[in-house]
Amino acid sequence: MIWFTWRQFRTQTWITIGALAVIAVALAITGHNLADLWTSSGAATCHTNCGTAVSTFLHEVRGGVGDKVYNFALALMYVVPALIGIFWGAPLIARELEAGTHRLAWNQSVTRTRWLATKLTIVGGASAASVGLLSWAVTSWAHHIDHANANRITPLVYGARGVVPIGYALFAFVVGVTMGMLIRRTVPAMAATLAIYIAAVVSMPLWIRAHLAPVRHTTTPLDLSRIQDLMIKPRGAMEVVSGVIPHGAWVLTNTSITTTGQLFTGPANPQYCGENQGATACLNWVGSLGLRQDLTYQPASHFWPLQFTETGIFLAAAVLLAGFCFWWTRRRLT
Amino acid sequence: MSPVLQAEGLSKRYGRRLALSDCTLAIPPGRVVGLVGPNGAGKTTLLHIAVGLLRPTAGRIEVLGGQPASGAAQLAKVGFVAQDTPTYAGLSIADHLRFGAHTNPGWDQQVADDRITTLGLDPSQKAGKLSGGQRAQLALTLAIAKRPDLLILDEPVARLDPLARREFLQGLMAYIADHGAGVILSSHLVSDLERVCDYLIVLVASRVRVAGEVDDLLAGHCRLTGARRDPADLPKGVEVIEGSHTDRQSTLIVRSTTPIDDPSFTVEQITLEDLVLAYMAQAATGAVRTAALETQR
Repeated sequence: MIWFTWRQFRTQTWITIGALAVIAVALAITGHNLADLWTSSGAATCHTNCGTAVSTFLHEVRGGVGDKVYNFALALMYVVPALIGIFWGAPLIARELEAGTHRLAWNQSVTRTRWLATKLTIVGGASAASVGLLSWAVTSWAHHIDHANANRITPLVYGARGVVPIGYALFAFVVGVTMGMLIRRTVPAMAATLAIYIAAVVSMPLWIRAHLAPVRHTTTPLDLSRIQDLMIKPRGAMEVVSGVIPHGAWVLTNTSITTTGQLFTGPANPQYCGENQGATACLNWVGSLGLRQDLTYQPASHFWPLQFTETGIFLAAAVLLAGFCFWWTRRRLT
Repeated sequence: MSPVLQAEGLSKRYGRRLALSDCTLAIPPGRVVGLVGPNGAGKTTLLHIAVGLLRPTAGRIEVLGGQPASGAAQLAKVGFVAQDTPTYAGLSIADHLRFGAHTNPGWDQQVADDRITTLGLDPSQKAGKLSGGQRAQLALTLAIAKRPDLLILDEPVARLDPLARREFLQGLMAYIADHGAGVILSSHLVSDLERVCDYLIVLVASRVRVAGEVDDLLAGHCRLTGARRDPADLPKGVEVIEGSHTDRQSTLIVRSTTPIDDPSFTVEQITLEDLVLAYMAQAATGAVRTAALETQR
């Protein structure tokens, strides 16, 4: 069964190894360039007040090919698990059911359980290994950029770094297998797999991830010198957003509250914040209100705890689905 | 010796449709069993239950003393060639044989290689490029080289042209002669089975109509021709399977436990084909009768 799974999977394996090699070469070449920029900008040797050096580095990166590679690698980390679900997961059983070859396979001296276990282990292992390698390569490649941007924990970057891509890939793979088994046709199973993968990966940062580690909550006096946004909307409604954010944090909510703890929404005093008054007058008036900044966030230090918890969730979902696949294959599949 | 296949009250239901109802069988060992019936009669359902691809809704089945597909040992004992003889289109003949070798402890590479050579097939050829007949031969080779105690074939020749059909059955006969394993093969044409079978099961509209040794079946059935009369006044032990009447004459195909020595009838031997057709006709009129009853209600 091991040989046969390998035989069925051989072409895809070579394609994957080829693609990984091309990506590795691209990352190696541009990564060398990035390291040079990191040194030449002075960011490598600076210890305090690195703002300027880091800005220089980021500016240089943005102007060059490194930026394109960065965006490509970011997209790649989300696309590859989907591809695995679609092209490795969905056809795994569906193609056998479509061609009727399951009737051949299940009448060799191998139980369905072993048949499925071998397929899941080998192809699932290949999924985890290829995405693990890719994530490791991309995470190391983007190391300096992530450090400079201090945004490794923010939703988009977070899902393309560390170990969560492995969780996504295994989840997508098992979803693909399950859909193929239930729908029994490859193409609709591929579509269903893609839909479920997108739903899962999008709902994570929207509703779930923030609660996977204790949320930090701070309330501090509003720092007037670091207001990020001061908006006066029609009918005097106001919104004041502070720019005081802990370094590298993922901000969940950032609002200004009044002395009684209510969300500050104005109304703007037209005497200071009217059309003809300057920004300073309005700012001074805002300062007189005694507003405080109410901030909830996940600090940069929660990156790895969140990564492991989220990976664990996707792996657990994959294991449950795989269990269902075994049950269905033994009991219901014909 | 215990039966190779024993079924009691076996039924399979798909929603409201009965694919197999109350099937009771005991097939003695060492036979070449023909399972015949029209398309949609439930042949595939019965065979799929026997190899464990399907689970029955009700009833019991034992194949070679074990539950179908209950484990690797049971799977090793039963060879199966599925309908339309599925193979992996992208894999070569050699890959298929390697697959068989890797997944069957009793695999006989010699038998497999010999058959492929005899058939004049190129082992490096992809299964998807084979003709229907060659693909059926490949599927049969896989099933045979597994060295099963019982070989089950589901409509193996249905899609083959007459020449491929003959070659396939010849290959099967050669195997049976060499190994003496039990074989069950299904077809909707009795002519396919006539020359190879010594045991026959007629399955029509989800029910087993008759089952037995071919010789016994032929000896126990005959055609009666004579002056027209009501089938009801035939002697005891004579059951009419099919009757046709003209104004003056009755032609009856009957099952009889005793020889018929009624001088008013001409008694004729019937062929296996006549016998099967009679049972199919009986099932059809039975269905009509049921339908008529339902309309009256």
